[in-house]
Amino acid sequence: MFGDSRVLSPLKMYPFLSAEWRKLFIKLVWQYKWIYLFMVAPALSLVILFRYLPMPGIMLSFETFKPSFGKSGLYSFLFSSDWVGLKHFQRMFVEPDFWRAFGNTIIISIMKLAIGFPFPIVLSLMINEVRVKGYKRVMQTVYTFPHFLSWVVVAGIALNFFGDSGVVKKVSVLFRPELANSWNFLYNAHIFRGFLVALDIWKEAGWGTILYLAAIAGVDQSLYEAAIMDGCGRLKRVWYITLPSIAGMIIILFILNIGGIMNANFDQVFNLYNAPVFSVGDVIDTYIYRLSFQSTTVMDFGFSTAVGSLKTIINFALLIFANAAARKMGYDGIM
Amino acid sequence: MTATKKGLYRKEPLDYILLVLLSLILILILYPFYNAVLISIVPQNDYVRAPLMLWPSRVESTNYKFVFDSPVLLRSMATSAVMMVVGAIYNMLLTVLFAYAMTRPIPGRNFFRFIMVFTMYFGGGLIPYYLLIKALGLLDNFWSMVLPTVISVTYMLIISNSMNSVPSELTESAAMDGAGEIRILFQIMLPLLLPILATFTLYYAVERWNEWYSAMLFIKSVDKWPLQYALRKIISDANFISTQAVTGEYRPPTYGEGIKMACIVVTVFPLMAVYPFLQRYFLTGLTAGAVKG
Repeated sequence: MFGDSRVLSPLKMYPFLSAEWRKLFIKLVWQYKWIYLFMVAPALSLVILFRYLPMPGIMLSFETFKPSFGKSGLYSFLFSSDWVGLKHFQRMFVEPDFWRAFGNTIIISIMKLAIGFPFPIVLSLMINEVRVKGYKRVMQTVYTFPHFLSWVVVAGIALNFFGDSGVVKKVSVLFRPELANSWNFLYNAHIFRGFLVALDIWKEAGWGTILYLAAIAGVDQSLYEAAIMDGCGRLKRVWYITLPSIAGMIIILFILNIGGIMNANFDQVFNLYNAPVFSVGDVIDTYIYRLSFQSTTVMDFGFSTAVGSLKTIINFALLIFANAAARKMGYDGIM
Repeated sequence: MTATKKGLYRKEPLDYILLVLLSLILILILYPFYNAVLISIVPQNDYVRAPLMLWPSRVESTNYKFVFDSPVLLRSMATSAVMMVVGAIYNMLLTVLFAYAMTRPIPGRNFFRFIMVFTMYFGGGLIPYYLLIKALGLLDNFWSMVLPTVISVTYMLIISNSMNSVPSELTESAAMDGAGEIRILFQIMLPLLLPILATFTLYYAVERWNEWYSAMLFIKSVDKWPLQYALRKIISDANFISTQAVTGEYRPPTYGEGIKMACIVVTVFPLMAVYPFLQRYFLTGLTAGAVKG
């Protein structure tokens, strides 16, 4: 019977049932006990504590929050709150502020993608054509520096720069003196989204060139030599050799960016926005934060958790899609 | 042929256009910093009155005196400095240890890696996270800004990849000589990977130095604020106040622009001071993981 190859034995289907396998497993685990104990366990247990233990809290999306006075315990708030089923999600769909934040998030992300995404590409093509070596280094140092600043700092500089005593106002007033008394750049809903995109480019475009420049550096130099022999000018070489050589990376980064479309950068918006521009600048993350911690009416943790859960689910789907798509294109970086 | 060799080219108009364009961008990035420094050192009245100030009219140190006399700001600088050092060591130690474990053929390796990677895609969200920190008793505690950072999964994967590229003969011969795993990691692996370790230590340090979000969520006591959060308070509370000034309701005394810019300069200074010298390390992190061959 057991010689018949068409019949799978339970041991073959489930090798961990066999005694030998278990023995080997235990032996291996024992052999690597220090690795488990000193290397895997610390990071793993902390990740489970700080990343996984909050996850069951998502159940709060289906409840109306009531604090569990006096009771201790990690999930006691889940038991003290009242189950309301899908009420929060129903409310969400008729809540204009939610749709406003949802729309703003996607619009701002798409604007950043459409306007901001090409910048590092053009910039890296330009930097690559610079033939003065020392200057190239200086440029890279300066261009990449703002990436390492927090949005608190960048917003602080920007609020001054575009604000009431800022340089932009002073220069504008030189040309149009009537602006002196009506300057409201930072509180102007027509400008705010463009302002976000422009600051994002200012901070991150230089950093974005790093990957492209690394890819360009890997291009086979003989291609350029052959092109010169054939009489190609510099612009033609950029167009027919350099650009195609980074095309794969452009597509992959674009797809990965689409995966992050629900993240319109909390740090940036939160440090720059103000009540007059909520209508165009309030994004999902800032909306959740204000609902949770700055609400003027009753704090509704249940509702804001529901909004957060919806965002997490959409985000998750987008990221999985983006990664699968990027992998199809031959990207094997993360996961 | 020789004309195409490096250094022996003719300068075309294109070269000049490029240099001008790129220099303009350079100025566009540098000028706001310069302007911030300028505002912080000139008397505020001079700056406000000048149509456009490009060079300091007079230099005074009142703003910096204010910053370094303010107990809140001084303490927040100390908090941030401690957080940066402790946090970077904490993050880096966990990252390196876990990354090394992922290069060894231990049972369950893929499962452990999956647990880590999954957190890049899915999380509990703001409120459950807040309630966890609360349940752990970490509210208003310095460690609520440090401990939850654990590791960056991306950095861990990149470091693990580069550990995999270390020739296995080196580690195997050490194991032959009776070296344990921890010894192999610290005496053979890590010395070979110093540049990449420097890179990610710097990244962690910058991230901890830039911390303000956890402080906003969890820290209520002024004396536990990190620098970036204190800075945010100074900047955006004033921003909030001028929002109200637009509607004409009320105008309490605010921090002057000079003091705000002095705070920004003090916050940025440590990074600006080391960046040009450590630039090589700052710039290699992305490419170490993403571009192969």
